[in-house]
Amino acid sequence: METSDKIRLLEEMLELKNGTLNESTALKSIPGWDSMAALSLIALCDEKFHKKLSGDKILSFITVKDITDFMG
Amino acid sequence: MRFRCRSVVGFGRDRMVAYNIKRDQMLNPMDMTGKLIIVTGASDGIGRAAALHLAMLGAKTVLISRDVNKLKLISEALGKNPHKIYPYDLTDLEGIEDLIRTISEENGKIDGMVHCAGVSPMMPLKSTKYDLFHNTMLINFYAFAELVRCAGKAANCNDGASFLAVSSVSSVKGNKAQSAYAASKAAVSGVIKPMAKELSSRGIRVNSVLFGIIKTGMYEKFLEQGGDMSLWNGQYLGLGSPEDAANVISFLLSDASKLITGTDLIADGGYLS
Repeated sequence: METSDKIRLLEEMLELKNGTLNESTALKSIPGWDSMAALSLIALCDEKFHKKLSGDKILSFITVKDITDFMG
Repeated sequence: MRFRCRSVVGFGRDRMVAYNIKRDQMLNPMDMTGKLIIVTGASDGIGRAAALHLAMLGAKTVLISRDVNKLKLISEALGKNPHKIYPYDLTDLEGIEDLIRTISEENGKIDGMVHCAGVSPMMPLKSTKYDLFHNTMLINFYAFAELVRCAGKAANCNDGASFLAVSSVSSVKGNKAQSAYAASKAAVSGVIKPMAKELSSRGIRVNSVLFGIIKTGMYEKFLEQGGDMSLWNGQYLGLGSPEDAANVISFLLSDASKLITGTDLIADGGYLS
């Protein structure tokens, strides 16, 4: 999957407009990036990429690129 | 005195044992000597602690879990007492009738059952599809209902038996990301009342216990998934241990609670107060 597609999935998950995020976007700057978003990300990675994501791993993510890299 | 001694000798060994058991149960209504109790989800957490506690109170426990290796470990921990393990996946609802029949045929009639097996998925509403509801209901609710339906038959259980579901304060005060879990536990609260009424003619009781946070593997998973512990600040007696939970379970399975049925007993460290 292309990076742009992964970012689009994140935008859909966070209910953000298309183009809101890019790889350098800091997670802390994203409206709605909270514990619920973290759970949604766990579900997204499991369902779309078959990857298990832990709470500790999420805490290590700084930017959107960290997430897209994890998605593989 | 001489007469009383002769009278006791005249009981014979079996009647003397029965007499002693009855006396012990009168002195300590939580004594479970000789009672056959099924524990589901017995390999971990609350189920494991309940099995150990019930065994210490004298019960013959029947342990059910999917994980045969963990069941063997807990069976070893229980020692040489007459405990049995039945590896089984309770999401296979069709086979529960045969499972219960086999247990009663091989071990005698059942005196109680506690359903500790369950799942507690954390999922935001927008990601909670119908299949998560279904999978959660499967083990948390359908399996319990089927267990009581089958175990409650006269051929399988003694009059006065006690059936119990491990439930949660989430059944009445669910938190974020608990839609499926809260719904499944609320369903348990709904079903115990008609069950209790239907089975009351034989003195059989059906209850659930609403625990708050208990420090088990599920709790660890809750934290691992980013669970927000600030939501549980209201549990002002602190978090419970599996042993605390086992005490409550033993109480509800024993004659000490013989007037309690059709009830959600709250054991939440004050969370709902």
